Amino acid sequence: MIRVTTGLATAALLVAATMGQAGVLPEVQNDIDEFRGHFKKRFSEVNLERYQDGVNSLPQYAERRANWELLMEFPPYEQDMETARELWAKPFKNGKTFADCFDNNPPATKYPYWDETRKEIRTIELDINECLSANGEEPIKNLKTGKIAMLVAAFREQFNGQEWAVDIDSPGAKAAYDMGKKYYWTKRGQLNFSCANCHVHNAGNKLRGDVLSAGLGHTTGFPVYRTKWAVAGKPWGTVHRRYGGCNSQVRAEPLKPQSAEYRALELYEAAMSSGIPLKVPSQRQ
Amino acid sequence: MAERLTKVKVKKLGDKHQVLVLINHPMETGQRKDKKTGEKIPAHFIETITFELNGNKVAEASLGSGVSKNPLTGVELDGAKPGDTIKVSWTDNKGESGGTEATVK
Amino acid sequence: MKRRKFLQSSVAGGALVVAAGSGLLKPSIAAAERSNETAFAATEADEAVKTLFGGMQAEDSGDITIKAPKQAENGAVVPIKVETSLAADTIAIVAEKNPFPLTTAVHLNGAKGFYSTRIKMGQTSNVVAYVKSGDKLYKASQTIKVTVGGCGG
Repeated sequence: MIRVTTGLATAALLVAATMGQAGVLPEVQNDIDEFRGHFKKRFSEVNLERYQDGVNSLPQYAERRANWELLMEFPPYEQDMETARELWAKPFKNGKTFADCFDNNPPATKYPYWDETRKEIRTIELDINECLSANGEEPIKNLKTGKIAMLVAAFREQFNGQEWAVDIDSPGAKAAYDMGKKYYWTKRGQLNFSCANCHVHNAGNKLRGDVLSAGLGHTTGFPVYRTKWAVAGKPWGTVHRRYGGCNSQVRAEPLKPQSAEYRALELYEAAMSSGIPLKVPSQRQ
Repeated sequence: MAERLTKVKVKKLGDKHQVLVLINHPMETGQRKDKKTGEKIPAHFIETITFELNGNKVAEASLGSGVSKNPLTGVELDGAKPGDTIKVSWTDNKGESGGTEATVK
Repeated sequence: MKRRKFLQSSVAGGALVVAAGSGLLKPSIAAAERSNETAFAATEADEAVKTLFGGMQAEDSGDITIKAPKQAENGAVVPIKVETSLAADTIAIVAEKNPFPLTTAVHLNGAKGFYSTRIKMGQTSNVVAYVKSGDKLYKASQTIKVTVGGCGG
């Protein structure tokens, strides 16, 4: 159970408001502060921004960090990112581009968002497909890897360095956030683990040969380019591809990409990573 | 036959230049089995990568099949000046070849 | 099978002269070329090193730096960077427990003592960087662990 802390919540909301953003409700700010507090205690040397590098930011990763540092000298995803940018810029048959749609959408720092009119959480993937359909193009079927991930990367990287700041400022948004939060803290699968068991309580600990990453900053750098997936020929992964994999790992039934629960989980994780600058794409194991 | 992607990056570090080349190549060892047929996939790997500065060979890398797929190979030069040409060319055990050039900035 | 290019080695050159003189070689095939191929085909680390460096004995050197992870994230892609202040003419990387321990080598003819590569490793192994400088051979090594992952979707 997350304890509710008193204090800075109102000030935080006022700060958000003066920055011209809708911000987050005080209860959500409490959750964020508590989440950050846990990791600050656990990894005192790691400042908030550093969590954008995922497991590479943890002191327990010292023996393995050279993998990432050396690969990043010439990132394996570079060629694909050039292709991704071309894909993003390429006009549809009717002459319009993704930019024409996304100029009217929130910036990447405010995705995912609660759509009051449609009463659902909108993700970049959903809005990419909506843009395609609206312009007479086929929506993308594979929402885990390949083209969709590259397009999301091309969009998000435009906001690299800007702090993630999703809005949870209405009853509808709060309900969606609560659904995601509940998912995160609920045990599931044959192994009976919640996301929190590994990524909050055991962040930095070993799970067989691997080090568990921290939940803080988790999806900041998505889409991810993974060595393990690259060796199998499908290097790219959206957030929901990774969620499915994690579900399978605890022997729980994976959900479909863009399912309501995964979108809610994505919204919760984004809120918990408020204030962390985007760094897209990420190179990981 | 289309050439495999060969991408070179020249990084300036003080008065040195690092030349890093990425080549899209399967680097098959000859030991892996095709899952469908059960047959071993024949060895297919880059054998030599040559680095030239203004037409002079400055390094030649020999690779075995123990090098990773889509290998990245890097060497370092001093004395490269803006406007100089760096040429990277490679050949593999099946006679395929490729290469690319870059101008030092 | 395609012949590899000749790797310069004063020791190999000597062997070439002797072998040719004794009539053991066809003139069109250089002994050093064949030894280069043989070095890559060697299944034991000492055999590979002996073939590549003609029996030169390597001494440990503090002037060779290996940057590599202590634990690999994925045995299929293990990045390794070797740097040396020695006047290097050859740098070779040997993963002792690999089925073919000699993974790659670079002959330098003006380029600096630096070599960056990504190798496959099947299991935890000592990885040795050999640096030939004139008629002396040096080495440095590091163990790289290769483990089975615990998680990873």
